[in-house]
Amino acid sequence: MRTLLLALCLASTHLLIEAPLSAQMVEESLAQDPGPLDFIQGDSYEQWILQSLAGDALVGIAAGGHLVPRLADRWQVRQDGSILFHLRTDARYQDGSQVRAEDVIWTVQQLLQHPQASPTKRAILEGASVGSDQGRPWIRSPRPPGRLLLELARVPIAQKGHPEGGSGPFAFRKEPGAWVFTRRDHFLQPRIDGIRFRLLADPAGVMTALEKGWLSIGAPATRRQSEAPPTHRLVTQPMHAQLVVWSRVGVEPLRQLEHWRKDAFPSHLLGQNARPSRGLWPETLGFQPRSIDVSTSPSPDHGTLRLLYGAGEASVEKLLLALRERARRDGIDLQITPVEQGLLTERLQKSDFQLACSMVVFDPHPWAVLEYMEPRGPMNFTGWRHPQLAGLLSRIRQPGDPAWLDLQTLWAREPAALPLLDFQSVIWVDKRLEVEPSPMGLYLHTPGAAGWQWRL
Amino acid sequence: MGLGVWAIGLALALGLPGATWKQARPPLFPWEMLGPTLLAVAALSLLAPTLAWMVGPNLAQRRSLALLEAPPDLLWAGLLLALWPAAWGPPGVMGWLLAFLAAALPGEARWLAQAMPGERPFPLAWGKAAVSRVRCLVLARLWGRWIVARLPVWLTATLVLERILGMPGLGTDWMTRVVVRDRAGLSLWVLALALLWVLSQSWEGEAA
Repeated sequence: MRTLLLALCLASTHLLIEAPLSAQMVEESLAQDPGPLDFIQGDSYEQWILQSLAGDALVGIAAGGHLVPRLADRWQVRQDGSILFHLRTDARYQDGSQVRAEDVIWTVQQLLQHPQASPTKRAILEGASVGSDQGRPWIRSPRPPGRLLLELARVPIAQKGHPEGGSGPFAFRKEPGAWVFTRRDHFLQPRIDGIRFRLLADPAGVMTALEKGWLSIGAPATRRQSEAPPTHRLVTQPMHAQLVVWSRVGVEPLRQLEHWRKDAFPSHLLGQNARPSRGLWPETLGFQPRSIDVSTSPSPDHGTLRLLYGAGEASVEKLLLALRERARRDGIDLQITPVEQGLLTERLQKSDFQLACSMVVFDPHPWAVLEYMEPRGPMNFTGWRHPQLAGLLSRIRQPGDPAWLDLQTLWAREPAALPLLDFQSVIWVDKRLEVEPSPMGLYLHTPGAAGWQWRL
Repeated sequence: MGLGVWAIGLALALGLPGATWKQARPPLFPWEMLGPTLLAVAALSLLAPTLAWMVGPNLAQRRSLALLEAPPDLLWAGLLLALWPAAWGPPGVMGWLLAFLAAALPGEARWLAQAMPGERPFPLAWGKAAVSRVRCLVLARLWGRWIVARLPVWLTATLVLERILGMPGLGTDWMTRVVVRDRAGLSLWVLALALLWVLSQSWEGEAA
């Protein structure tokens, strides 16, 4: 009987405890369910992380922001404007088949034709054509090659006929409640055994898991960022992320917000995560701080301003309350209204707001700001347009071209949006794990997680 | 009337307003959590009536039960996480089950106890055996209605526990479909719950 009881106790203990963590697996968390891995339809931030681990784009972006080879070991811009890619011969899908031009063509065609294809990737490839020349794929697009190449870093190539099949450095499998990536034979030569993501939507749950050593990487609570446990270290990385306010009622409210953002936010509320923005476009993308043009004729003054924001973000709410108090000192009644995120997005897309704010993560290249300005840009919520825009865009071929300054001047005359805060990512990372921080985070650059390693 | 309510629910799911910024694909249904969820529901549907049968209608007046019932799910999940030894790794399904029972059992036992008829003077005057028999009959009659009334809540309200414990299950699935505006998926949820209700109605009819 005693033996039976002992056996029962042991069995129940086994049920209570999950399998012990593997020392070489990196334990991570996801804030949202990324949905099934799909290189054609997947389009959320979490999905990008999954795709960066399980797939390879033709080119990559290094942590420093410059282009590096990925599936293509070199490329050339041809006379007709198309880009010819020379594919690596050692890139293979999980079934062992080599990555070929047909896979590139199929992926691009699917992204252009599939009704449910990722809108972000489809926008990148809008107007593009694709083909192959002696077994090498080429892509021709109305966009300048410099822009297209940087944007193609966000388009992993799927295996023909398999939207879930990638050639990336990690093999993906879905486990109950977890997304697991294990190292495979790959040209980036990943050095960690794998990464296991659990869905931990609650920040307090993440904090407890970090403190108990169940997570190798995680974002701590703002007020406790500097209290990393002995097993972890603090890592900060600037991000191409901002809290942006759009205005449907002219430039004047933005001009006031530009003034208030300098001294509205107490440092203890900002923590290390955020600092007041200084310009109109992200400095992390290489733009110099630029103020709204004072020569612009002021629009009618507003005694009351209504600002919508996404409900559920406690830290953003506190910052907006501080902004409201700052506005009150200038005699402006800034009414902030929380709106459920999906409803806020719908109101943004329908231009049904006076002022609205949301966090924005920019793509890692300067062309990302065109989302504010281009007629069908995903962030052009106010219907902004200008007759000089097309001419200026045709003069921009590379990051750093002088025409960027003219473009910024054009926007500064009558901006439709203004960033309030620049964000940076503050995370705790296991002391034994070497990672490479970047403005794209830990995953989205090349080599990304394939470059991590455990210290012996 | 009941079907009308479910039809309204279906219309709300199909016409859910809002949009997503980045088009997110709906999550895969967490089939692997269906077993643990059924286990949790079975445990609750057994333990709560047993508790009510043992203590009787007076259970509803117990202050100790009210104390256990008061803390929100958040507290039970947080407590479990705080007490869980770090060396054991994250709590698994059984940890989630424990937190679920701790959070749900007191409230469900009180629900049943409150619905039970008083026992003074009868059947108390007829002795313990009669009391026990009456409680059995009452609970057998209540059980079906109770399950029907509470099942949708149990299936969907585990969200808080799932979020804190990192155990995505049915609650997370339902909530994620709201977030990504998966109207078809939400409609299936409503239809499944409506089907359970219809089945329970026919079952109720037979019992009567």
